Amino acid sequence: MTIGAGAGGNGSPPLVVLDHITKRFPGVLANDEVDLELRAGEVHALIGENGAGKSTLMRVLYGMYPADGGRILVRGQEIKIGSPRDAIANGIGMVHQHFVLVDPFTVTENIILGEEGGELLDIDAAQQRIAELAESYAFRVDPGAVVEELSVGEEQRVEILKALYRGVEILILDEPTAVLTPSETKDLFGNLRKLREAGRTIVFISHKLDEVMEIADRITVLRRGKVVGETRPAETSKAKLAEMMVGRPVLFRLEKPTVQIGEPVLRVQDLTGEGKLNGVSFEVHAGEILGVAGVEGNGQRELAESLIGLRTPASGTIELQGAAIAGGAVFDIRNAGVGYIPEDRHEQGLVLNMSLWENAVLGRQDDVEFSGALGVLFIKKIKELAARLVRTFDIRTRSVDVAVSTLSGGNQQKLILARELETDPKLLIAAQPTRGLDVGAIEFVWKQILDQKAAGRGVLLISAELDEIYALSDRIVTLYEGKITGEFPPDAPPEQIGIGMLGRAPEEAA
Amino acid sequence: MATEGLAPPIAVTRTRPAWLESFAGQLLALLASFGIALLAGSLLIVAYGENPIDVYTSIFDASLGSADGIGYVLAIATPLIFAALAVSVCFKGGLFNIGVEGQYLVAMITATVAELNLDFLPGPLLVPAVLIAAMIGGMIWAAVPGILKVRTGAHEVVTTIMMNGIAISLVGWALNGPLHQNDAPEGAFVDLRTNVFPAKGLAGDLGAMFGVTPGAHLSWLLFLAIVAAIVVWFLIRRTRLGYEARAVGSSPGSARAGGVSIGATQLRLFLISGALAGLIGMQLILADRGYLPLNYVVGLGFTGILVAFLGQNNPIGIVFAAIVWAILSRGEVALQVSSQVPREFIIVLQGLLILTVVITYQIAKRRLAARQLQRAGLAGELEDSDAPDESAGPRGPEGSGSETFEPADEKRA
Repeated sequence: MTIGAGAGGNGSPPLVVLDHITKRFPGVLANDEVDLELRAGEVHALIGENGAGKSTLMRVLYGMYPADGGRILVRGQEIKIGSPRDAIANGIGMVHQHFVLVDPFTVTENIILGEEGGELLDIDAAQQRIAELAESYAFRVDPGAVVEELSVGEEQRVEILKALYRGVEILILDEPTAVLTPSETKDLFGNLRKLREAGRTIVFISHKLDEVMEIADRITVLRRGKVVGETRPAETSKAKLAEMMVGRPVLFRLEKPTVQIGEPVLRVQDLTGEGKLNGVSFEVHAGEILGVAGVEGNGQRELAESLIGLRTPASGTIELQGAAIAGGAVFDIRNAGVGYIPEDRHEQGLVLNMSLWENAVLGRQDDVEFSGALGVLFIKKIKELAARLVRTFDIRTRSVDVAVSTLSGGNQQKLILARELETDPKLLIAAQPTRGLDVGAIEFVWKQILDQKAAGRGVLLISAELDEIYALSDRIVTLYEGKITGEFPPDAPPEQIGIGMLGRAPEEAA
Repeated sequence: MATEGLAPPIAVTRTRPAWLESFAGQLLALLASFGIALLAGSLLIVAYGENPIDVYTSIFDASLGSADGIGYVLAIATPLIFAALAVSVCFKGGLFNIGVEGQYLVAMITATVAELNLDFLPGPLLVPAVLIAAMIGGMIWAAVPGILKVRTGAHEVVTTIMMNGIAISLVGWALNGPLHQNDAPEGAFVDLRTNVFPAKGLAGDLGAMFGVTPGAHLSWLLFLAIVAAIVVWFLIRRTRLGYEARAVGSSPGSARAGGVSIGATQLRLFLISGALAGLIGMQLILADRGYLPLNYVVGLGFTGILVAFLGQNNPIGIVFAAIVWAILSRGEVALQVSSQVPREFIIVLQGLLILTVVITYQIAKRRLAARQLQRAGLAGELEDSDAPDESAGPRGPEGSGSETFEPADEKRA
């Protein structure tokens, strides 16, 4: 599965040329004179770390942001794109990571929204057209289905069809596989190949290098708002791409330390609650990392929040080293020795407009070390703590007084890790711990999690990234619709785990 | 953008210190907002065929032009400081206490009850007892919406408005019933009010000390208000409760995940807010009238919301905002005497001022935040996969500036 057949006529004139595009945000140069050429009938991967400027560049092309400098040429003509409407009129469409669909509407109603073609709707004709369109690119979608009943993968197909229905020739996909299971990704790639055969151009924004190597015809790498190189899968390797993205060599596999697996730290039995968890049972032992794999929205969030005390389960037991903690207050559960890395660090990890030092103590403000009997904070002590965390976790900041909103995502996550690990928790709950982080920061976070295991503590790793589950776990379970659907050794093939992620028992599928 | 992937820790480019930049930025924003508001007001004055400079001069003369004027201004500002502080304390925790109005009305009743029933106490004990009674009255009235919010989730805006209605009726009932004046001479026609309080139980006049007319009713309650502002600042910035309140107000999810009890924090904020609200009416009954009249000053609680806005919810800012507000209020008198411009012009000017202050501060805040980002040398955080949604656009610069720079708490959940 290397470069496909229709890898765009190399000699043909480029379909789209971005010429010296510059885009500034207050205080940040997001795109710095970026040049990019898209050719007809190619899958062009745009890769880079978070903040490298890839989405910004494509949003400029799609008319969402005005460029501060540079030109856009489509089919040799310089054009002004002032809005997504202009972009679509020029044959450019974009599918965002977060879908914009009207849930109670059918697929057809969603697709024709804004393109109804008259006051009187001819739903049947539209449905017919959409069915043909879907057929021609092998999209499995029922045009009559109601959107709220669709899976994420199906919704994504609807979004793509929406663009195709508008006659788009250049399709920009922003991290399309972030929300998909391995098999859904395979389906998507099948669709993309069909589109390429039909001469359409696809821009594939990603930071998943395996996928880029598989699907792309050409690859452009951005770093800090600049193009650092353009290449083809045949001429490069994952390691080379990663080095281009990060600016230094990156390790892809970290050595898992061998540790004696100890007594169970966490024992969960028949945990049920809020329709999202249906009798979940598992154990995490000391010195063990248990990976919970699964597509998001299958109870991961509810599981993590029940364990830390943010939700009260309807039934079932949670024992931390033999002591029941189900339904307890967050404060007590934390004090009993549980650290928590939330899946959404802005929602549940940090108070963005507060300073770094104030965030460093969050959760421990009651400690006698940090506040007195009358509730007066010992600010000097807290700042010492913050400075220590900054030092030991190499958090890049000007001082501990800055608002955490000014830190990069990686540094914010480091701060949360530092804070949660400072108290030596017996159990660490890490939910999507590297979401939105760049390669360098991912490496750091993984290492910290492995260190916890090495220190003989238990880790519950909940992740939608199969790579991450493989890189860290000693045991893997899959979570589907609130149930544990399978348990796997760390070397189980991804296909098997993928089946568990879709809710079928492995033996059924075999 | 100076830092490479694993470059050595940030090269600090030394310029002005952050706090100075923040302070200068705020001052500039403030001056700009005043300038714009006065300029916009000038247009109105010109429309009335008057000279803006004359009108502004007369407002200035009436308020800051003489010792008496200043005395009046400070006396008007005193209850406004308490009112705005009460509003701001709740605001910090993401609560909108519209009920300051009702809380101070009820507090005037409880203070009156204490004043009339504890008159056997010597003055130095009676006055504190009255103030405590007032604070308890305000706390009781604030506790009801507080408990409803925490227990049932009833929205505080709705419940506090209801409580305001009840409080107004309660004052009417008290003055017609149990607290009705009973020492008036037979057959004499008097206003609906309570008995006059004992002189030892009043807030002593300060005016004489500074050559201010007793008519201004300037009292040491002004100092109490300033002390209250300092206490609130300390509470918000230096104590666990204030810390937790700010966390709850800005990010309830992160606060909860950090083990903070949102309900307990918000209830405590309501109680503190109620206690502060309780002191609003003291200027009227202890310094001005010496009894509780039915024609009490209405709307101080609502004005408090506006003053809190003007002071950007910063306790020290509130003291100054209250004084600015009072200067304009005092200016009303001047307008009536010396110009064709109707007194409502003052309300327009106060409104303009809030608008311009909020806008210029927002701009200044963004600029400072952007500069901070730039200094931190980050290209990141602007565009990435975990942005809340596509239309949100760049997220980075929206975080607030430095510690001293109070956000307008726009992120209340």
